[in-house]
Amino acid sequence: MKNSMLSIFLLGAVSFSSVADVAVIVHPSNADALDSGNISKIFLGKSKKFPSGEQAVPVSQLSKNPIRVEFDRKVLNKSSSQVKAHWSKLLFTGKGQPPQEVTTDGEVIELVANNPNIIGFVDASQVDATVKVVATF
Amino acid sequence: MRYRLKLSGIILAMMSMTAAADITFNGFASIRATAADSDGGEPPFSTFKGDGDISFKDESLFALQARADLTEGLSATVQLMAEGINDFEVEARWAYVSYELSDRHRLSLGRFANPIFFQSEYEKVGYAHNFSRLPTAVYIGFEFSTIEGIALDSTFDFDDYVLDTKVLYGNWDGGAFFAVTGQEESFALNDIMSIRATLTYDWWKIFAGAFVAEMDGGSIDQAVLNTFAAPGIAAAQALGATDADVATFQEAVTWTGEDGLYWYSGFNIDYNNWIFDFEYASYQVEDSTDALNNVWYAALGYRFGSTVLTVHTEELTQDIDYDSLSPVQHPVLVATGRAIHDALGAREFDGYGISLRYDFHSNAALKMDYFSGEDTRPTVKDYTIWSVGIDLVF
Repeated sequence: MKNSMLSIFLLGAVSFSSVADVAVIVHPSNADALDSGNISKIFLGKSKKFPSGEQAVPVSQLSKNPIRVEFDRKVLNKSSSQVKAHWSKLLFTGKGQPPQEVTTDGEVIELVANNPNIIGFVDASQVDATVKVVATF
Repeated sequence: MRYRLKLSGIILAMMSMTAAADITFNGFASIRATAADSDGGEPPFSTFKGDGDISFKDESLFALQARADLTEGLSATVQLMAEGINDFEVEARWAYVSYELSDRHRLSLGRFANPIFFQSEYEKVGYAHNFSRLPTAVYIGFEFSTIEGIALDSTFDFDDYVLDTKVLYGNWDGGAFFAVTGQEESFALNDIMSIRATLTYDWWKIFAGAFVAEMDGGSIDQAVLNTFAAPGIAAAQALGATDADVATFQEAVTWTGEDGLYWYSGFNIDYNNWIFDFEYASYQVEDSTDALNNVWYAALGYRFGSTVLTVHTEELTQDIDYDSLSPVQHPVLVATGRAIHDALGAREFDGYGISLRYDFHSNAALKMDYFSGEDTRPTVKDYTIWSVGIDLVF
């Protein structure tokens, strides 16, 4: 019984430690202040602009990536399946295209660092000086 | 009218498009085993066989969408669909060109969805909702959910709210199943004007919409006049009805030239894993033998991780009124008209269902459902439907 409890505790600890903080990043020149509501609207296709009025182009990650799961859960308040169902409604009614999905944090950082209109999200531990963190979840 | 194309033509068209622009391909599919049975022996809905046997065709479909971005806000989209109910014959369900007037406004021309009800635009995309089939009392499968015309989609976001609107003008001709004749009857809708508004907050949305169109009765008028009215007209003439009496009667019972009016409203709540949907719609061909149709459904669901359990109830009722017969004077013609009203407005049904959705894959959901209801037609009466299937997007 004690071994079982210990196993559950260790499993929980491992699971807890694997949950990464999500950093939402933009180009360093972007001066917008963004909260979860702004970010959610942009990533769900409800808004195509930053609060400043500049065009916002969201870049996502593959749905199998753990950081994508965390972003969907913490920021969009949805499961990845819910997000996909949401975009299915828009995609197949001609109302929008889902964000481009890339494979790694590095690709997101590179895209954001080279385009002031792009907004993305990465594991907070992977952020470097080429991008600006506007929010962490 | 269905737009069925030869596969070779579709492939040729796509190859031509790829030479000129970037093409994005997406698709969706449903593979579903369905069994429907009724005490009366006839299927409860025209999309089922109704003999209780399992069918892998009745509710299965495949669709492929190609979207060509032609730069500077211009795009062309074609959606090809093959439904089991049509022997998987490929049809160009949608084919339209869109132009982004601004970040808020998009203009579309061509063949596209007519949102006669709130979820009509994506009712075929099973992955997009939690039902095996959207509640049939409301989503009864009218073919004029796809029309040819022009549409303006707009999105306005302010603070935490988003307002989506759609204004549409178009035409349609085709057919729809009529319970009273037991077959598909042809008719057309001219000068369709439609408007819809949806207000969304984080966890709720409310919506309302309406559309009006001028009817061309087509074979419905012929069925009414030839099948139902002819004996009454002959009897009335034998009892002294004049040509003017008959003309007035025909005007009162046919649909051509009358306005078809639809409206709907409802709300959706998705809060702390609880989901509640409600939609009510009302529609009628005014000043004709068509009864006022009142339809609604309410659904309550709960999300357990990757699983959603939903229970719902739905109902279709018809309110018969004989106002269109007020100009008719001859008693035999009045009686004939009332009998036609009664026949066309006789079908009503309701039902209760339970649906289970399990997202077992990032692109696929397993769904199971059981539905039981009662139809006023003696050929149907109590009925049941169950299904198991998979909905995909790719």
